[in-house]
Amino acid sequence: MIKRILQKLPASIFSRERVLGVSKSRQKYDLPLAASTTNSFLRLLIALMSVLGLLALSASFALSAMTHRWSEGLAGKISVEIPATDSGGDVIDPSLVKSMTDDVAKILSAHPDVKEVSITEEKKIKELLSPWLGENMVMDSLPIPGLISVTMDEDGKTDLKELEAKLRDVAPRARIDTHESWLTDVVRFTGALQFAATLLLVVIGATTLVAVAGGVRSKLSENKEELELLHLMGASDSYIARQIQKHTMILSLQGGIMGVVAGGIVLIGISMVAGHMSINLIPEFKLSALQKIILVGLPIPIAMLAMITARYTVLRVLTKMP
Amino acid sequence: MIRYEHVGLRYGIGPEVLEDVSFTLEPGSFHFLSGPSGAGKSSLLSLMYLGRMPTRGLIKMFGQNIGEMNRDQLASIRQRVGVVFQDFRLLGHMSTFDNVALPLRIQGRPEKEIKNNVTELLDWVGLGDHKFALPSTMSGGQQQRVAIARAVITRPRLLLADEPTGNLDDEIGFRLMALFDQLNRMGTTVVIATHNQQIMNKFAHNRLILDKGRMHIEEGTKKGGLRQRLEGVY
Repeated sequence: MIKRILQKLPASIFSRERVLGVSKSRQKYDLPLAASTTNSFLRLLIALMSVLGLLALSASFALSAMTHRWSEGLAGKISVEIPATDSGGDVIDPSLVKSMTDDVAKILSAHPDVKEVSITEEKKIKELLSPWLGENMVMDSLPIPGLISVTMDEDGKTDLKELEAKLRDVAPRARIDTHESWLTDVVRFTGALQFAATLLLVVIGATTLVAVAGGVRSKLSENKEELELLHLMGASDSYIARQIQKHTMILSLQGGIMGVVAGGIVLIGISMVAGHMSINLIPEFKLSALQKIILVGLPIPIAMLAMITARYTVLRVLTKMP
Repeated sequence: MIRYEHVGLRYGIGPEVLEDVSFTLEPGSFHFLSGPSGAGKSSLLSLMYLGRMPTRGLIKMFGQNIGEMNRDQLASIRQRVGVVFQDFRLLGHMSTFDNVALPLRIQGRPEKEIKNNVTELLDWVGLGDHKFALPSTMSGGQQQRVAIARAVITRPRLLLADEPTGNLDDEIGFRLMALFDQLNRMGTTVVIATHNQQIMNKFAHNRLILDKGRMHIEEGTKKGGLRQRLEGVY
């Protein structure tokens, strides 16, 4: 039954030419590279490395964007806190905290270097605290400090110590927070993560190149006799290298495209999951047009690097021939 | 002209397989290379088609010292040498046409010229109807003709053949010798490695005789002897 079905199928399904023992079309390469057993391995490996490369590069872009937005968002901004406790740790009457906050705000508004002053409402402060203390916490029983957001002139020449001393005339424990130390730590941390992502990218790239070189070497030893024959017929090293580098470039491009498509699906999945989680602390991650072009175009540098590696490997192997 | 002066060859740290070999091949000459098995015939041939480099001595091919050439110059010398290997060494993934066209493609000749020349040569060796056939579907004799066509398609200045009549019956062997003779008369220097005494006795060419890595030369009777004998056969 199966035999009859197979007989009815056109011979082209089984590569008609091969079945008939003929080849009417010119072979793309002088070496039998198309039939090499390492092709699918190399394509798959490059696809997997491209997925990892895409994720590492995206992570690097995300961290860079995060640092930039944090720094930009806090530029020229300071916070003034009027603690709800006195120096002895006793709770101050909330109405007194409110009155001190208003007085501090007045002094700030009158300062020539201050562009904008905004007292953070008690309700907003409770909202900000709720992720840490829980919605059901009895907020009313907690001492809430006074918080004032201040936007300064961007020249940054204001003497904040002098300003703080002035504020302490009306609120003895008033404290100015420039976010500098927090921002420095965050920038340092994200910088370290970005470095790790870049290092990972380099390791992925190096692993890919080593694998490509190994694949090319294996291909050459698989076709050693044919390679030797071309050499003896007077094919120059460049002639032989050109064929293998072209073949490797096409394979890498195919693998790279497969990897970028798969990596893109993973990234979309991650951003969808992240979209459902309302993480206020982390700024929203959006790729710029240039970053999108770089990610989509990732197969091109991968293919170019693989091609150069293949050429270098072939030329090295050929130097062992006289 | 090809000149060997005190040429020696050894593999790795082993003994010399060729010792102090010296000879000169004039342009357009025809030589048999003979000697017992293990005498170094294949090693000498591999030196002649630049598959190996000598461990000592001087080799000049077409007036150039190969020891002073860079890789590209060596490749260019190899393009002027046609080789018929004993085991044919055809590329199995390529058709007869592509196998024969390969040396021309390596030389970067235009496709139109390749098509004309290869088609004409395949017709001449009687394989015009097999130009799309893969080597695996052809007989030993047909494969050998493809190998010969591939070796001569570029009109090489030096043609080397390693036991070319080894797998052939007498009649085809004679035809093959006629082909080599014709090429020789067109100016190609021919060297045929063989230990077939019958063929060497029938065709009166000079003999390069190798024995235990050393060479001596025996003069043939007269130039043109081959043609006279062939006329007698056919």
